[in-house]
Amino acid sequence: MIWLMWRQHRAEAVALGLFLAALGTILVIGALPMHASFRNDGVADCLARGTPFSDTCVEVMARFGGEYGGRGALLPLLGIIPFAIGGFLGSSLLARELEAGTWQLAWTQAVPRMRWLAVKLVTLVGVTIALAGALAAVTTWYRGPLDAIGGRFESTFDIEGVAPPAYAAFAFATAAASGLLLRRSLPALAAAFVAFLAVRAGVSIWARPNYQRPVTTNQDVSNPHDWLLDTGLVDGSGHHLTFAEENAMANAARNANMDLTGYLDSHGVARWDTYQPGDRFWTFQLIESAIFVAVAAALIVMVAWRVRRRAL
Amino acid sequence: MRVFVFRLDTKSGVPPYLQLIRQVRQAVLVGYLRPDDRLPLIRELAGDLAINPNTVAKAYKLMEHEGLVVGRPGQGTFVLSSASSSMSPGTYSSLRRGLESWLRRAYAAGLDRRGVDALISTVHDETGAEGVA
Amino acid sequence: MTQLMGSGRNESGGVVEQTAIRTAQLSKRYRRTWALRDCSLELPTRRVIALVGPNGAGKTTLLRLLVGLIAPTEGQIAVVGHSPASNTPEALSRVGFVAQDHPLYRRFTVADLLRFGRSCNIRWDQALAERRLSDVGIPLHQKAGTLSGGQQAQVALALAMAKRPHLLVLDEPLASLDPLACREFLQTLMGAVAEDGTTVLFSSHAVTELERVCDYLILLNRGRVALTGDIDALLGDHRLLVGPRVAGPHRDVPNVIETRHGDRQTTMLVRANGLEVAPGWESHPVGLAELVLGYLRRDAVPTVARSEPISQVPS
Repeated sequence: MIWLMWRQHRAEAVALGLFLAALGTILVIGALPMHASFRNDGVADCLARGTPFSDTCVEVMARFGGEYGGRGALLPLLGIIPFAIGGFLGSSLLARELEAGTWQLAWTQAVPRMRWLAVKLVTLVGVTIALAGALAAVTTWYRGPLDAIGGRFESTFDIEGVAPPAYAAFAFATAAASGLLLRRSLPALAAAFVAFLAVRAGVSIWARPNYQRPVTTNQDVSNPHDWLLDTGLVDGSGHHLTFAEENAMANAARNANMDLTGYLDSHGVARWDTYQPGDRFWTFQLIESAIFVAVAAALIVMVAWRVRRRAL
Repeated sequence: MRVFVFRLDTKSGVPPYLQLIRQVRQAVLVGYLRPDDRLPLIRELAGDLAINPNTVAKAYKLMEHEGLVVGRPGQGTFVLSSASSSMSPGTYSSLRRGLESWLRRAYAAGLDRRGVDALISTVHDETGAEGVA
Repeated sequence: MTQLMGSGRNESGGVVEQTAIRTAQLSKRYRRTWALRDCSLELPTRRVIALVGPNGAGKTTLLRLLVGLIAPTEGQIAVVGHSPASNTPEALSRVGFVAQDHPLYRRFTVADLLRFGRSCNIRWDQALAERRLSDVGIPLHQKAGTLSGGQQAQVALALAMAKRPHLLVLDEPLASLDPLACREFLQTLMGAVAEDGTTVLFSSHAVTELERVCDYLILLNRGRVALTGDIDALLGDHRLLVGPRVAGPHRDVPNVIETRHGDRQTTMLVRANGLEVAPGWESHPVGLAELVLGYLRRDAVPTVARSEPISQVPS
């Protein structure tokens, strides 16, 4: 059956492979000068010495940020790649066979249905995770210098680490399930895309901030590696200032010709932060990946159960 | 080399196996099939005419019962020497033409198919003719 | 379940399958509709069996149940000694199936399709498949999607036959074929039956060409088996009685399948052997198409009654 798998899926495997290879090459080529500059222009040394930064370091880092910082802007578009990989391969599992009627050909040879499904699942899921993982590895490496300076928890969580392969597995499972239910490739892909966006948005907006209890301090300890969830002003009696009150403070400081920090200090008003500490990044990555892998597994179990029961 | 060409008329209402038997009988009668000629193998005939091999097998078995043919295992089905008759094609054609013109007269006179069959049966019985197929 | 596995022993004591297919109260429901109801069949081996019925009668459902592609709601099935639910390689290898519209992997070449068959089957006769395809002039290096309908049907049939199955199941194989392709397909099929003793079951909604090819019949109508049996025996058992017009059903005639009235005569399709015909009545043999139509009309949903006004008969 291995030959059959390759022959059936080679077109999309080759297309995806070439596309991702091109993408990876572009990233690598773009990264090399940035990584070189990071080492050779002293930015790495500055970061190694730590805060507070000397004036030279501030200047060096500002120049580096000015030159290479903008590159990060397009990267979030890479967030669609896990769906491109997983959705594409997932809809080719069942939707294509059901649409063309070839399931009647495939399941009346001497290969039992469940074995056919198992071989296909293992191969296609494996390829999905491998491709998405490879791209995520390249992206993580690419972002190395920028993350060292500006942090990754807040802005590039979705495209680095182990989360992208988990998203891709989820996209695969969603496309496979919708393919089984809708029996047509394009509608299945569209439905899977909508589900993918909805679940990813929901998880990253509502679930992710709460994987572990956020830390709240009455001191401004903002550090670019932390994920700032919320911030505000608190006065001496512990009352959190409203937006109107903050505005009033800012106006008063301007009228008194003082800078805002000094003015707030003199009135006993401090800044509070609610944040997730930077060292929780990998824990959060694992938690989020586990969630998506679990949902993917549940969907695949549903698909396998229906195929086994011949309830198509 | 094809010894004999069969054809099947699906509209005639006559069962296929009977059509095969009649064609073999007439061929033997007229001399198109001679003793020891081999009839087509069952699978050849089934494949050529696109008919059920069981039908061909049934026809061959019935003809074997009648003594028209004999099956030799591993070799095929062959026309029996006792089955042949020595009518020439010319005689056969003239008999057939005579019958056709008689039939036309009978139908023109108002007899239908059943009436013709009944008339033939009656005359047959009265003259005690032999060799009725 | 073992009662369904029909087999006997031949003279030398080997097991011989006498029944190719046996079903008991087989039923299939989709949501609220019963596609198939109470279907009990016993089909012999080495025959060419026709599954006939109007569109929507349940033919595709029955065939898919027999090859194990869908699961029954009720009832039991045994096909060439196995239950289709078992889904073992041995059970799967005994049945060859060609679905409606002969689906193939369109991007595969014909050679690829043969390779697919070889890699997915226990028994595979590559030489047989190649010979059959060259007999009908199908090139091995052409993509299946670019072949004509008749050629695709031949490729699908070759794939099913190369498995050397005990049973070949075909769903409407002739439906989209032109007369020449149809003839070539049947020639190939009959050749295979003659050489290997394969049992063939195929469905058709047209009855006309079946008599030369089939020797066993299943008539399916609205999910139920209306008639089944050896075709020669069925035709021998039924007669068409024609006589003067009668007002109601003839009292003395049993087993009337269908009665049709003309202005001055009545025709009755009866299932009776050696019936003595009343004076004034004639008994005619029935052809397969007439037989099937008679049973279908008997079970038809009654439309607005076309009544012949009695007042027109002169008193």
